[in-house]
Amino acid sequence: MTRLIAALLLAVATTTSARAAETTEGVRAVVGAPRGAPITGPDLDARAKEAAALLRCPVCQGLSVADSPATMAVKMKAEVREMVAAGYDQDQVLAYFERSYGEFVRLKPPLRGVNWLVWLAPLMGLLIGGAFVAWTLRGAKAATPPAMTQVPVGVDALPEDTALVPYVLKVRELAYGWPGGVRPKVERT
Amino acid sequence: MIPLLGRGLILLALLVATVGTVVGFATGGRPSAEGSAWTRRLAFTFAGLMAAANAVMLYALLAHDFSVSYVAQVGSRSVPTWVSLVSLWSSLEGSILFWGLVLGAYIAAATWANRNSHPEYMPYATAVWLACASFFSFLLAGPAQPFNTVFPVPLDGPGPNPLLQNHVLMAIHPPFLYSGYVGMTIPFGLACAALFTGRLGHGFIRPLRTWLLVPWVFLTCAIVLGGWWAYEVLGWGGYWAWDPVENASLLPWLTATAAVHSAVLMERKGILKGWTVTLVAASFLLTILGTFMTRSGVFNSVHSFTQSAIGPTILGFLAAALIFSVALLATRVDTLAPEGRLEGATSRDGMFLLNNLLFVLLTFTVLVGTVFPLVVEAVRGVRMSVGRPYFDAMAVPIGAALLFLMGVGPALPWGRATPEQTRRVLLPPLGGAALAAAVGLLAGARSPWTVMTLAFGGYTAWVTLSEIALPLRQRMRAHNEGPLAAFVEANLRRGRRRFGAYVVHSGATLVIVAIAVSSTMGISKEFTLRTGESAGIGAYTLTFLRTEARDEPHRQSLVALVAVRRGGKDIGTMAPRMNQYERQREPVGTPDVRTFPLEDLYLSILNLDADGGTLSLHALVNPMVGWIWGATALMAFGGIVALIPRREGSVALAGAAATVVVGAAAPR
Amino acid sequence: MNRTVLGAGLALALPLLVVLFANLGRDPHAVESPLIGHAAPAFSLSPVDGGPAVSLASLRGRPVVLNFWATWCIPCIEEHAALASAAGRAGNDAQFLGIVYEDEAAQVQRFLQERGKAYPSLLDGDGKTAISYGVYGVPESYFIDAEGTIVAKFVGPLDPSTLEAHLALARGQKP
Repeated sequence: MTRLIAALLLAVATTTSARAAETTEGVRAVVGAPRGAPITGPDLDARAKEAAALLRCPVCQGLSVADSPATMAVKMKAEVREMVAAGYDQDQVLAYFERSYGEFVRLKPPLRGVNWLVWLAPLMGLLIGGAFVAWTLRGAKAATPPAMTQVPVGVDALPEDTALVPYVLKVRELAYGWPGGVRPKVERT
Repeated sequence: MIPLLGRGLILLALLVATVGTVVGFATGGRPSAEGSAWTRRLAFTFAGLMAAANAVMLYALLAHDFSVSYVAQVGSRSVPTWVSLVSLWSSLEGSILFWGLVLGAYIAAATWANRNSHPEYMPYATAVWLACASFFSFLLAGPAQPFNTVFPVPLDGPGPNPLLQNHVLMAIHPPFLYSGYVGMTIPFGLACAALFTGRLGHGFIRPLRTWLLVPWVFLTCAIVLGGWWAYEVLGWGGYWAWDPVENASLLPWLTATAAVHSAVLMERKGILKGWTVTLVAASFLLTILGTFMTRSGVFNSVHSFTQSAIGPTILGFLAAALIFSVALLATRVDTLAPEGRLEGATSRDGMFLLNNLLFVLLTFTVLVGTVFPLVVEAVRGVRMSVGRPYFDAMAVPIGAALLFLMGVGPALPWGRATPEQTRRVLLPPLGGAALAAAVGLLAGARSPWTVMTLAFGGYTAWVTLSEIALPLRQRMRAHNEGPLAAFVEANLRRGRRRFGAYVVHSGATLVIVAIAVSSTMGISKEFTLRTGESAGIGAYTLTFLRTEARDEPHRQSLVALVAVRRGGKDIGTMAPRMNQYERQREPVGTPDVRTFPLEDLYLSILNLDADGGTLSLHALVNPMVGWIWGATALMAFGGIVALIPRREGSVALAGAAATVVVGAAAPR
Repeated sequence: MNRTVLGAGLALALPLLVVLFANLGRDPHAVESPLIGHAAPAFSLSPVDGGPAVSLASLRGRPVVLNFWATWCIPCIEEHAALASAAGRAGNDAQFLGIVYEDEAAQVQRFLQERGKAYPSLLDGDGKTAISYGVYGVPESYFIDAEGTIVAKFVGPLDPSTLEAHLALARGQKP
């Protein structure tokens, strides 16, 4: 481990140019030419991170390549960055890794075949559930409040203690269904 | 000797639980005082036997008795004592034994608490509890036997997985998790009892609610403790990865939370009884599904125990429990007659229903996402992943909606409300929303979801704080009390359930807002530093000082000492490390986290070259992560306050009536 | 009997149980390679003990056995002997190649000096070759036919009979 960095640097240094050509050819063989123009700077950082977050680290459990500290993930992240810098778009990057590792390596299920189900199921749940709730509540709205058929005489009077007035009005509103607690003019009971 | 003793205790426990199940159901069908007494005795005996078995195992672990198969598997002479203790739950068989202990304790507590009440329900409830207990005893007696004899007796053992020795949370998270998980069995038994007897009266709602809330508090803490543990130990800087086992712990929490809310409506108006018992049953069933997911080896997870033969057995139990629950609900749910009526869409009642919908939807979504790779495997024969991007895409909108509902719901009055009243209660909190959004924008929030979450959070905080203050203000006005006395009387001595609920809401609001902020407003950078070199992240400057080697009995560590400065001031040294354990090939990194009031500074080693003096460091500034832990403690506190029982009788009625009148008629 | 509850309950419970039962016994960590039947990804890597780079294209015309390994990997050490003797037996009929994964040149050289070297081992410094082949860990072996198509992938240490069987596949013969 302690000399790994030195060895890696050495290996990279001695094989870079030959490798770069081979690898680009290898990438091109799988996904073709880059669809976009080469990019640099913070835009590159952001796009590379975005793509890496959608790739699953093959040797970890469920972590994305962007998050994982594993050596393999770090190397994959570097390769993602190179591809994005060369102008490959997100679909191409994901397709390249999918070619080597299978659909397993994509954290976001691509929309093909039975995969549609995982995206549609919550939507269907929402629609069915929403319909059920709406139907239940509509039944509730239609129901009229339990109005008393026999309203006692003199019930319109208000108490002398003014502190009690708002409470009495509220109680009448709840009990008789009178808005504001005041008997509506139209009612005939 | 010890293996024999342990096996004997487990077999006895299995016998007692089975007999208790039969006696309980028989007494339920034909009630008698004798039958109830025997059911209780058998319940207590089961609890005692399980406790004894666990004590024997703990003794064996501490005494390093390697003739016991489980100790031979996870024990070690070279680990600290606390590690020997927590090895009880570090591996599969021991964890099932621990499950038995917690289940026994819960059954004993619930039986004791209800020993003099609800004689028509308790035998049924106890029978259901002991039926579950029988299953777990069966597991222990058979596929997951921890007390097998090992011969020849090894001299030493391998110790538990090194990752489980790294942090003290290993001692805390599993007990909390089991207390939450296992506890869901109790309300399930109570709900089944209600369905069997065909009654769910006012008196029985109280124990159902209490025994739903107790495991809920534990589970809330456990889920967040798990996240905290992952955050402190795993080194990637996050606290939740939507791993299948993490999801397994979340699913029953979601349905239990929905059940608690549903129970409020059940208690107030006698409606949504069917919803509540279904949600309670779902919570229990999801804990069994969760334990299957963790132990069967079928799911690809960082947390799973190694694959074992126990999977099919648990699946069999899950199938039986599922079919039993569906059959019981389908045949008996109509006997639980509602005593009131849901009133109005734009009322608090309607909001409760909406709340149920959203929680159930989220549960369904997380369940579908977690199980989906298995579906595809069965249909297409291809391995695929459903990972964080999917779950975040689903959970964020639903979570935001729930946050908003947490504000709108309590603001609306019970029963039908005129548009005028609705407007009167729903508009003022918009001030809180605007304030929170403004603060967020000033602090640099740019993601639309974050700003929206902040706005919702502000809205909900306004409503929640107003609701907490309401009885306070009423008391101050009506009784001329000072604020502190009024607070104590209104919220701590009288309306504890109400106050507890709003404290939980406050905590939940903070948690959701903190999650939104920490996920979108953090900074993440990677540097390679030579000794003496510095780099900046956020407001901090990090300087790599040197490497230190530390030797401990069970591991050797390389520690990278990094000096931290902020605003020119030296604020200390942080020490992320790489640990080399004997059993693992790759060293395991431990990050170092420093928590400040508003944010965390998180350092994790990517590569450490001690000889060459180079450090490859992953540094993160995570805003508001500490708030998640603190706000969860607030939620737990709220739950505990709500659990403190009230004095029965007139005081309770007066309290409820006063709240209704005060809430409805306060002249504004 | 509440039909709605029964229907909804069974609609949720039965598919779940079916899916879970169907997946019992499967290993979630084993993933099949999508490269089987496709052209082997190109590479050009330097041998561990120096010398000109070896490219896959230059080996066209003969079956190739590609073995990803490392000195720290115990199963790799175990299969080393089987691979060496198979390479000896095959002679010029098939090319055996080792690709070193996440290891250091000096370590590998020492290992080969001690245990013998029957075929060249190449150093995959930046891991790109391993990535292009979809390597999850070591040891993994790829069997490539004379036209450059991957006919089989084997995960784990090889034993002599499995080696011969896969090699026969690469030769286009029935195993």
